[in-house]
Amino acid sequence: MIKFLTQFGRYFLLLKKVFSRPEKPYVYYKQTMHELLYLGFYSVGITAIISFFMGAVITLQTAYNTENPIYPTYLIGLGCRDSIILEFSSTITALILAGKVGSSIASEIGTMRVTEQIDALEMMGVNSASYLILPKIIATLLFFPILTLLSICIGILGGWAAGTSAGVITSANFIYGIQYAFIPYYIVYSLTKMLVFAFIITSVSSFQGYYVDGGSLEVGRASTKAVVFSSVMILLFNVVLTQLLLS
Amino acid sequence: MITVKHLEKSFNGHVVLNDISIIFETGKTNLIIGRSGSGKTVLLKSIVGLHEIDSGEIWFEDILFNKLDFKEKKKIRQEMGMLFQGSALFDSLTVEQNVRFPLDMFTDQTLEEKNERVNFCLQRVNITNANNLFPSELSGGMKKRVAIARAISLKPKYLFCDEPNSGLDPPNAILIDALIKEITEEYLITTIVNTHDMNSVIEIGTNIVFINEGKICWEGNKNEILHSDNEVLNDFIFANALAKQLKMHVRK
Repeated sequence: MIKFLTQFGRYFLLLKKVFSRPEKPYVYYKQTMHELLYLGFYSVGITAIISFFMGAVITLQTAYNTENPIYPTYLIGLGCRDSIILEFSSTITALILAGKVGSSIASEIGTMRVTEQIDALEMMGVNSASYLILPKIIATLLFFPILTLLSICIGILGGWAAGTSAGVITSANFIYGIQYAFIPYYIVYSLTKMLVFAFIITSVSSFQGYYVDGGSLEVGRASTKAVVFSSVMILLFNVVLTQLLLS
Repeated sequence: MITVKHLEKSFNGHVVLNDISIIFETGKTNLIIGRSGSGKTVLLKSIVGLHEIDSGEIWFEDILFNKLDFKEKKKIRQEMGMLFQGSALFDSLTVEQNVRFPLDMFTDQTLEEKNERVNFCLQRVNITNANNLFPSELSGGMKKRVAIARAISLKPKYLFCDEPNSGLDPPNAILIDALIKEITEEYLITTIVNTHDMNSVIEIGTNIVFINEGKICWEGNKNEILHSDNEVLNDFIFANALAKQLKMHVRK
């Protein structure tokens, strides 16, 4: 318990260092652009692939589990849309990104720690926590919601492609279904969740990497811990946010 | 000048540095020598503030460094350059960007002025046509020289070198030693070098401090070290067969 509280305290002390005033805003801006590319743009591919197949499977499962004449078939489209917007495009995408981006952040910062690059920054008088972590947090907060929107679009596209090609729903019915009883607030809910998840993934993974002590083995362990802790926190906050935003 | 007074440092109750008092003089290469695990790196990192010390005083000229807050330390740190054991070049930056990094962070110079300074520093350490290479594309010796270029880019008053020769072949090690000595004398820097390489001791050891089990065991210069009667020091410097023969020759 004491170890947990110590880690919790260290996490918030690190965040305090991260959100202190940047030394040279221009250098931070350049660094943020770099992170937008590496953490954000380079995650588009994996997000698109996952979303497409996720949408396809949701549509097929909904179709096969609602094979009943009293259910109108457009409900398959509606089910696909709401499942993707409410849960899959934010939570599942966040879990996948925790694996990809989280492990990358933890191993990058961890390697910098064990090869004394962070000491070199500190030696120069640079706030290493802020220089290394703040641009990553800003980049993910800006780009992950875009990934969510992309995931929603591609997921629905995947659902349409699978549904129509498998013959479980017509194109017209699917399109009618995804437009039927649409609640725009669900998009706000999904984006809000993703903002929180983006912060969790980046800050928890950076924390794990920043305090690595040892060598390559410890960097590997930090990377694993980053993914595990981020995923658990995402699932926990998913429940909390759902209760707060949808109740 | 850097003055260390009664410095003590321990990790989890294990005393690593015990009552260390030394004066490091300006314009001289001050060497800290000792076996692996004797506390050399901890001492160096304590002096530069990377480790919080338990007690004692660290003075940079007339400023008590270890009592300063983060912002005040930051000002002094801009007058320091450090060469780390593994070079500690930033992997994601090219050679040019690595050397320019301190200038980007702490000066308001134009890009042309910064590039001029970068090229000067790289030429000073004999690095040419490598501006756009990444650290992973450099040899060990080149990495060390780029790290020295980065360390001197802000014209430091203090230079700290942690095992500058580790992992280098003898000719490259001599080159790095010579470079450190030249830069120290040329720019009147207070240089502290941490080493267990006896070649460095003989080549550049103006002032030498021998640390054993966290305590200062011997102090002197490169001429005195070969004639010392200190048994622990002799066990350290004449550890190999070649050194033993040298000792016999010196004694004769």
